Amino acid sequence: MLKKLLYTSLFALTLSSCSDSLDDVNKNPNATETPLAPYLLTGTLKQGADLYWGDASNFNSSLLFVQHWAKIQYTEPDRYDVSNTSFTSLWNTGYSTLITDLNTILNFPESQANSNYKGIALTLRSWTFLLLTDAYGSIPYKEAGQKITPAYDTQKEVYTGLLEDLARAQSLLNTASGSVTGDLAYKGDISKWKKLVNSLRLRIALRISDREPVLAKQAAIDATSDAAGVLASNNDTFKFTYISSPQQNPASAWFETRDDFRISKTLVDKLYEFSDPRLPVYAQLPSDASVGKYVGGGNGLSNSNANSQGFAKTSKPGTYFLTSTSPAVIVSYSETLFNLAEAAARGYISGDPEQYYKNAITASFNQFGITDATVISNYLNQAVVKYDASNYAKSIGTQKWIAFFGQGLDAFTEWRRLDYPVLKAGADAVLDGQIPSRFFYPGTEQSLNGNSYQAAVAVQGRDLLTTKLWFDVK
Amino acid sequence: MKRKLSIYIGLCILLISNAVKAQETKPLIQSKLEGTVVDAVTKEPVIGASVNIKGTTHGVVTDLDGKFFFQTGQKFPYTLVVSYLGYKKAEVVVDKNAVVIDLTQEQNALSEVVVTALGISKEKKSLGYTTQALKGNQLAETKETNFLNSLSGKLAGVRITNSQGDMGSSRIIIRGETSIAGNNQPLFVVDGVPVDNSQLGSVGGATRDFKNAIADLNPQDIETLTVLKGPNAAALYGSRAAHGVVLITTKSGKGQKGLGITINSGLTISEVNILPSFQNSFGQGSNGRFSYVDGKGGGINDGVDESWGPKLDGRLIPQFYSNGVAVPFVAHPNNVKDYFNTGVTYDNSISIAKANEKSDFRLGVNNQKQLGIVPNSEVNKTNFSLNTNYQVSENIKVGVNANYIVTDAPALPGGPSGGRAAGVMLQFLWFGRQVDINELKNNRNVNWNNSYYSNPYWTAYYNTTSQQRNRLIGDIHLDAKLAEGLNFKFRTGVDYYNDRRKYTIKYGTNGTPFGSYAEDAYTVNERNTEGIFQYTKKLSDDFSLDALAGFNVRSRNDANNYQKAPRLAVPDLYTLTNSRDPLTSSNSLSRLKVYSAYASAQFGFRNYAFLNVTARNDWSSTLPSSNRSYFYPSVNGSVVLTDALNIKSSTLDFLKIRGGWSEVGNDADPYQLSTVYNFQTAFDGNPIQTSSKKKLNENLKPETTRSTEFGIESSFWKNRLHFDVAYYNTNSFDQILEIKTSTSSGYDSQLINAGKINNRGFEVQLDGTPVQTENFKWNIGVNYSKNISKVEVLDYDGLIKNYTIGSSGGVEVLASVGQAYGALYGTAYERDADGNIVVGTNGLPKADPTKRVLGHYTPDFLAGVTNTLSYKNLELSFLVDASVGGEIFSGTNRTGTYTGVLAQTMPGRDAAHGGLNYYYVGDVKTQLTGTTAPGGATVYDDGMIFNGVLADGTPNTKIVSAQEYYKGSYNISEAYIYSSTFVKLREIKLAYNFNKKLVKKFGLEGASLTAVGRNLLFIYKDAPNIDPETAFNTGNAQGLESLALPTTRSYSLNLNLKF
Repeated sequence: MLKKLLYTSLFALTLSSCSDSLDDVNKNPNATETPLAPYLLTGTLKQGADLYWGDASNFNSSLLFVQHWAKIQYTEPDRYDVSNTSFTSLWNTGYSTLITDLNTILNFPESQANSNYKGIALTLRSWTFLLLTDAYGSIPYKEAGQKITPAYDTQKEVYTGLLEDLARAQSLLNTASGSVTGDLAYKGDISKWKKLVNSLRLRIALRISDREPVLAKQAAIDATSDAAGVLASNNDTFKFTYISSPQQNPASAWFETRDDFRISKTLVDKLYEFSDPRLPVYAQLPSDASVGKYVGGGNGLSNSNANSQGFAKTSKPGTYFLTSTSPAVIVSYSETLFNLAEAAARGYISGDPEQYYKNAITASFNQFGITDATVISNYLNQAVVKYDASNYAKSIGTQKWIAFFGQGLDAFTEWRRLDYPVLKAGADAVLDGQIPSRFFYPGTEQSLNGNSYQAAVAVQGRDLLTTKLWFDVK
Repeated sequence: MKRKLSIYIGLCILLISNAVKAQETKPLIQSKLEGTVVDAVTKEPVIGASVNIKGTTHGVVTDLDGKFFFQTGQKFPYTLVVSYLGYKKAEVVVDKNAVVIDLTQEQNALSEVVVTALGISKEKKSLGYTTQALKGNQLAETKETNFLNSLSGKLAGVRITNSQGDMGSSRIIIRGETSIAGNNQPLFVVDGVPVDNSQLGSVGGATRDFKNAIADLNPQDIETLTVLKGPNAAALYGSRAAHGVVLITTKSGKGQKGLGITINSGLTISEVNILPSFQNSFGQGSNGRFSYVDGKGGGINDGVDESWGPKLDGRLIPQFYSNGVAVPFVAHPNNVKDYFNTGVTYDNSISIAKANEKSDFRLGVNNQKQLGIVPNSEVNKTNFSLNTNYQVSENIKVGVNANYIVTDAPALPGGPSGGRAAGVMLQFLWFGRQVDINELKNNRNVNWNNSYYSNPYWTAYYNTTSQQRNRLIGDIHLDAKLAEGLNFKFRTGVDYYNDRRKYTIKYGTNGTPFGSYAEDAYTVNERNTEGIFQYTKKLSDDFSLDALAGFNVRSRNDANNYQKAPRLAVPDLYTLTNSRDPLTSSNSLSRLKVYSAYASAQFGFRNYAFLNVTARNDWSSTLPSSNRSYFYPSVNGSVVLTDALNIKSSTLDFLKIRGGWSEVGNDADPYQLSTVYNFQTAFDGNPIQTSSKKKLNENLKPETTRSTEFGIESSFWKNRLHFDVAYYNTNSFDQILEIKTSTSSGYDSQLINAGKINNRGFEVQLDGTPVQTENFKWNIGVNYSKNISKVEVLDYDGLIKNYTIGSSGGVEVLASVGQAYGALYGTAYERDADGNIVVGTNGLPKADPTKRVLGHYTPDFLAGVTNTLSYKNLELSFLVDASVGGEIFSGTNRTGTYTGVLAQTMPGRDAAHGGLNYYYVGDVKTQLTGTTAPGGATVYDDGMIFNGVLADGTPNTKIVSAQEYYKGSYNISEAYIYSSTFVKLREIKLAYNFNKKLVKKFGLEGASLTAVGRNLLFIYKDAPNIDPETAFNTGNAQGLESLALPTTRSYSLNLNLKF
């Protein structure tokens, strides 16, 4: 009996130790080690749209700074009372999600991703870097994703590098180079991607125009003379269209459970001033029917002052932006036309700036469903709207600001560059009357990439919201 | 490797079967022996002494009368070895006559027997390291529902942190944090079976501070608890020994003559130990104005959840319960205190035990019902424990131990991570000071504020988290005597549990209008099988050898399955199908396996000098095959100088020096070798894949910890004074670190083999008996420990300066190169060259954009002093413990200052509290110099001027309102860093043992009554409004407090009856 017992237990032991190898035990059953290009592409488009259109980098920060939206509750970000934990998602999602996944596609052998996947990946990566440098200034670019503590590059280095990247993307993209799936933005239409590349090159040309006019001019010429052309209609607009919960538009999801945003009074007043037919698209009437008109919320108010404007007596952003299927517009046709207008006004390219300007406003109207030619021409012929050749920055800046409604990061960048319209910080804002000129670097950069951070700040200036970036001359 | 192991096992089988064959042929001779063990001086029976027949595996334990009984095949005469903690070991030659054995109390620590690694008892003098033990009653009588708390202050070098509340987790750290990133808590071993102490679901959005798993044990079942402090003592446990080992031996039926029944009944009352000190002069609102309409902005500031409103002077204002009628606006000073209940814990247990010459068993059942301080919170726990042994034959003994534990918590209290929907203190740090809690209690559908919160009773009763856990810890074991001096022990054990949590948020909760429902289920299964050969031999008159060799196979499986209905379709139906949206879900499985072989030998010289060596090799599945096998040795020794130098002194009884060096290795978590990609919810039929953001490492090496330890132990004046000093120096390097990296590196974190952390410190245990008479004894026990840690290296390239352990409220907890472990890193005030705080033109302090180290959470030293006074059968003891040094970042102070609810926001709020008068010119506040403002402008009396300088160095003169003043430092972490030093009156215990003769008249063998008070008083603390001992959970991110549940003070009464 004793022997049996011993044998049994030892047999059991032998069985349990040898039934599978230690390597098999350590094979991860929870995730795959094999990435696939179409799935990564879908992921970056979705996550990129969520980032660009979501709360942290858009409607709870940049959209407030440019006074498109305002806060009626939790007004700290609207008063710029924020810390270096506030702007981390643009940085973190930008780098460790978007750029990392796009680099994975770029590093695939040809058998796993054809050159069109790589062209698209390089385009999207350039767009991501552009958002990052526009918001923060100097950023890790050349060493991003390569080193554990990447050095920062100056804006000049980043912008010029991106122009080269986009030129390379253009040459990678070729309608004959195989098809692409998982492309929820352009449904695999490579010709549209090629237009987007040129529109982004034109955008960057103007970013550097106040600093590097010669290079800017060349970039504008390269972008507009490329055979593929720039975005040429609202059908070419680069956007991401959501479906239903939980894949719904992030602003729509937000408003389902929270009620802390209103359209800004600054914008509503400007739209009233211009009799702008986009007002009913951009805003809802207050829920208290007795108000009977659009009322924006003041920016930069204390919680109690913001609150006492009345939740029912102020206008929420328009339902166009708040349904679950609302699109996230990322690069619009109208923006490209405004950029052409400015490039022409600066003499970089030929063409009539005023006509481009009018076309840009028309494209914006069309984008928001206003197509009545009479309505449009009446609007364009108003003295306050008419193109002012002596101050193109004012005309283009103001109208671009209106057309960018909802695209906080780009509206914020172009407002800083063109300095129009003139905005005033709210009464309870905490930056001594100034409006932010950039985002703080994430606080974790100081602890995790300290030497690189210190070197960057030494060149760019203190890590403050009010430090002006290289491209932002005035 | 596989081949090596099977050869090894084959060898084992051969050896054992031969040995067994040899013995079975022996005829059985029955010999019976009765005896009693008594104290040599008092002649009182010694209960629980172990009596062994020398050179055999026969062993029994004395019963309540000190009696024992043998019926064996051993021929008379033979030698009995009798030992008991605190007594000198006795050896007595017996024949068939009944025997009374006198045990003499230890005059010195010469022959004290202690439990060491692998559960092997050794003479304490032979060890080159320290161990420290507690008896079961020291744990059981405290009536802590998490028994780790009862260790506080009682063991040198052991730090216990009670995370929060009365149903939460506790963290145990021995000799500081030796791992930068990994688990730093010791391994727990119950009756030879490694037992899990995870706190599952503490990270990643859990809304509760769930108990750590070791809290499942019932202290009533514990016989002794021994702490092996660090690698030197625990080297044989290998990979998991770096942080020390806690060995728990449960009670058995050994020595129980006849049927023994023990009934224990306890009642504990607990109350909130500390709440923030609130102000009662100003109510809800902002800028002094408030009027309630709908609680979400419809009235005047009624969506504001801060207390910067009107004075609480009885003025008439509509409030949340008054249907628009203006009612007196008055303070309710106890509105937070009155929310909390008096907690009650009922603890009842019964155990029966019996033993005879061949077998023994003990069966225990314990039921504990705890009704917590937070309304509706409740935990029920039932433990069943079985401990049996059976002598199968002359040389073979087998046994089974089993613990089955059922935990059923219908609702656990909401910690800070419960957020607005389920957190408790979050709401109360914003709670309007005028709010009448009774109005909320009477109607859960109304609330003082509807823009952020639901009624606190609504959240307690409807937004609940329940937990059900079923756990089996058990083993079967066998002891065989193979030959003279050679024994074999075999044990296979399991710790298996599943743990299900259900999270409900009710439809209609503010902020979660559709409610939600989630289920989170865990399964943990750890199995260990070990075999050990032990060989003891006296080599010559001078030399002795005690050796062992063994193997262990460890395998562990973990599984987790989480599903959530993010928005319910219809109210009050909590199922996963009742969902408006697709369910969010995740699941994970994890497996690991470790093979180990180990050996140790102890050489003794003349019973006063000892040398111990150990060696162990592990093969772990979690490491790449090339680095899978790792070997580590240890060596230690001791010399009893009083014997070696033949010192005979009436002062010095005993003096021993000891020292040792050890190395232990450690493996990785499973699946850390290959970088993976995760799938996210597909978009309209398009799968989404994305980086896991964690770069793994296919070349991982095992971690190594090396530790050196020295110590002196001594006793004086016939053991009236005993002290033990230990010094240790531990270096851990090649650590497997998941370093947080700048995301610009492409990943949120990367796994590297790097890092070096040094911990050194010393521990003092002092035990003295200043007074001892026939009936009265006064004993003082002192524990002191100091640990100094330093993070020396993170990555070997020197690029990484900081490892982020955790963060909260903008403060990161770092392992920072050159600093002590646990640096608190955050925003400081901007200061000029002279150290003055720089103030902006708005009159408020500026934050320095460069973050700084603001403190460290690791204390400078810990100390505990226990005084025990005993008079005849009455014993009174009190324990004071202290943690000195270290800092904590307090979210409670930060929030409560911002919201104006704390008493510390009173200075300056009105003229009576030193507020300055001002009036407005346009929208600029202007200080009033006379008595009336120009033009009859309104004069306000809550003006304050921040004490600082402007950028140009001139003093700040800008007047701001108190509301602006107190909100002005919200984003400056430095303002809310406090010293975490505290001195607590931890425990007072009064115990009475009824006279044996008296209780016998009632048919009892023994009876005792114990009254215990715990956490009675803060004798000293620096941090206002909080218990500085609190934390989020048992992880390494300590030193952060954020709206934690209050800790509790408890009073318990316990009756123990033995039949």
